[in-house]
Amino acid sequence: MYLMLFPPLVYFAMFRYWPMYGVTYAFRNYSIFTGEAPWVGLAVFRRLVSLPGFWVAFRNNVIISFGGFVFGFPVPIILSLLINELVHIRFKKFVQTTVLLPSFISWVIIGGLVYTLLSPSSGVVAAILRGVGYEGRIPNLLVSTDHFRKVIIVSYVWRAGGFATIIYLAAIASIDYELYDAAVIDGAGRWAQAWRITLPSIRPVIIILLIFRVGALMDAGFEQIFAMYNPLVYEVSEILDTYVYKVGLIQRNYSLATAAGLFQSLIGLVLVVVTNWIAQKVEPGSGIV
Amino acid sequence: MTKYLTRMTPSRILIYALLSFVAIVTIYPFWHVIMHSLSDSQAALGGGVFLYPRQPSLLGYRLLFASGRVFVAYGNTIFVTGVGTLLNLMMTTLAAWPLSMRRLRGRRAVALLIYATMLFQGGIIPTYLVVNRVGLLDNRWALILPVLINPFNMFVMRNFFYSVPDSLEESARIDGAGPLRTLIAIIVPVSTPVIAALAMFYGIYHWNAYIHAVLYISDAGKQVLQVYLRSMIMVSGVGQLAEFDATAGLTEESVKTATIGAAVIPVLFIYPWLQRYYVKGLLVGSVKG
Repeated sequence: MYLMLFPPLVYFAMFRYWPMYGVTYAFRNYSIFTGEAPWVGLAVFRRLVSLPGFWVAFRNNVIISFGGFVFGFPVPIILSLLINELVHIRFKKFVQTTVLLPSFISWVIIGGLVYTLLSPSSGVVAAILRGVGYEGRIPNLLVSTDHFRKVIIVSYVWRAGGFATIIYLAAIASIDYELYDAAVIDGAGRWAQAWRITLPSIRPVIIILLIFRVGALMDAGFEQIFAMYNPLVYEVSEILDTYVYKVGLIQRNYSLATAAGLFQSLIGLVLVVVTNWIAQKVEPGSGIV
Repeated sequence: MTKYLTRMTPSRILIYALLSFVAIVTIYPFWHVIMHSLSDSQAALGGGVFLYPRQPSLLGYRLLFASGRVFVAYGNTIFVTGVGTLLNLMMTTLAAWPLSMRRLRGRRAVALLIYATMLFQGGIIPTYLVVNRVGLLDNRWALILPVLINPFNMFVMRNFFYSVPDSLEESARIDGAGPLRTLIAIIVPVSTPVIAALAMFYGIYHWNAYIHAVLYISDAGKQVLQVYLRSMIMVSGVGQLAEFDATAGLTEESVKTATIGAAVIPVLFIYPWLQRYYVKGLLVGSVKG
């Protein structure tokens, strides 16, 4: 039995705990030339917070992940309630199947789709705008510092929304049907049923997804940004992960990049612990920790 | 009652219209790119809405496959996905089963150690340095070994094992079967739902993952499909294809859409099957999860 646990434990020690020890690079000054890393206390952090680029990345990180959260969290709840109202089974299945599709497609491909659709010369959005008689200049959203973050947030909601929708629909499917029958006898319409029965019944699921989502708020989507951004919009879309990548692996400043990453994961840790604590206050037994 | 269920009230019509719109917004981007990729470059030049291919042509695809690199990339991704998923399942099972045994001493401590890795990670740079230290840079195993066990999936599996009756394991033990034999001959066969679900989660992860490949692999001969796609779609790698000859009337746009098409069409074919099991898998995971 213990022998069986041995390979997994080796894995966790090597690829999960060894890197945790590696965060000490944030308190040492690692030289890639000599390979030495003397302890320097908080000097690396002091240098990090003096860099404007770090704060730009931090700000973008917060704006993008908050935008994704604020717009992305309610959408699946609304969608699942609406899909639940559909009475034609085949259409219902069709919509369910459709909204989950983007979850299976990589960000690289979705980036490609977005670039094709938004091209101001040959894209669909431009064609539709012209079709309804719009004659002004059509901006290229993908190189616009005013609009690029919106593109990121909308495409995030587009891709990720279906997954949570399916989870909510599964929760709705497990609601006891007698509750609805009783409500109908009491004269409740569809709207009242959704508001008084469906929503309260899926509340525990909403809370669990909320905890996961808030816990991941420091994660602004490395894969997505890396697949979609371009030099013209770096100033509005550089996030902490891409910043760490550039400082650490392009400039080879391991200590500085480790410090930026540690800063990010510590905030993430605090977010998880705090939301979990709040969730347990609001609804005992609902936390994940 | 049936009358009430299927009657189209104004609010119901609105819901149908809204969800039809959602479905179109989800599907159209895929449709657009595929139709564009099947069109003649010059005919497609005007862009706009594509409902069908304009002057059907496979030139974009022919050019794409004329370069052997795409097959190398496919091969690498198939290797990582196949071998990676298999090892993921083995290692996850080896961790999950002992941890589901109530009589195993110290299992709480081990579970806690694994749980902690969900809350706090070393980060990009410390993990990179470990991968470097163990000599995995520019090796396809770097895409497999550092992500052998996803702690979340491990707990999903352990929770499933909790629901397997203890008597099964006990009777095997009384018959003199060792732990490994019990696991393989008794436990795995009754756990196919959770194994299938995790196989899908891990498999889709490997197929779509590309950030680790960007970080750890620089040799083009070992590069995976997603990174190759990104270089074609985003970084304008099309012009670098030796076979690309702009005078033939083929536009970069056509090769890009063909690239996206080549990646998306196989997924679309297996998607209906995939999503059925995926949804089932999510339900398996939600037991106590």
